[in-house]
Amino acid sequence: MSYKVTEENGISIVHLDGEIDMDVTEKAKEIIMPLIEAKKEVHLNLKEVQYMDSSGISVLIESHQKATELGTKVILKDISKSVLKVIMMAKLEQILNLG
Amino acid sequence: MNNLAQISEQRDFVVSSSSLKDVRSFSREVFEKVNIDQDLKDELVLAIAEAAQNIVKHAYQGEDTEDKMEIKISLANGNLEIGFFDKGRPVEEDKIRHRKIDDIKPGGLGTFFIQQIMDAVVFKEGEKPWINHLILSKKIDY
Repeated sequence: MSYKVTEENGISIVHLDGEIDMDVTEKAKEIIMPLIEAKKEVHLNLKEVQYMDSSGISVLIESHQKATELGTKVILKDISKSVLKVIMMAKLEQILNLG
Repeated sequence: MNNLAQISEQRDFVVSSSSLKDVRSFSREVFEKVNIDQDLKDELVLAIAEAAQNIVKHAYQGEDTEDKMEIKISLANGNLEIGFFDKGRPVEEDKIRHRKIDDIKPGGLGTFFIQQIMDAVVFKEGEKPWINHLILSKKIDY
């Protein structure tokens, strides 16, 4: 997994790239969680994520819950077909913010 | 693409989260030989990777080990069977539960995915030297 973080109008945009599995979830959390803890709105761009497993979905849930707790939000953007399928399999499309 | 009537391939992997990408590569290689649609291939790769992840996470509780797990993918007459063999802690089947679907929390999703994708999930005591033997099966048209 590789990533890039940009800032636009006070919104942190995290572009994730590659495959997100158990082996990289800690790294993903290290990137995303400090932004949420700084109470920034975070957009996760998932266009280039070709594979995500249950560990990756757990990062999305944790991020969403942490953001809600701190009064901000995480929005999933440009979700790749394969990631959307896993989100739907987990029946989370009504829970997570899909933008 | 070949449309083989029968497949039986197996490979060993070190029990580690860093092996999961190799597990996926192996699974993709095997399913490339079968004439089934890409969505089903992706689902099967996910189910296999989730089961391998469960071995790392639960049978070995994330501990470093040099132990290997073995994955065997067999297909004959439309019956797909995927065997997982490991030497970790014995699986206590009654403790394996996927999350309730209305309980939104991280964790427990891997088993839920496996059960959604596969027709049957069976835990067996492994024959020596293995401790656990998990069998995932699914009827497929190809």
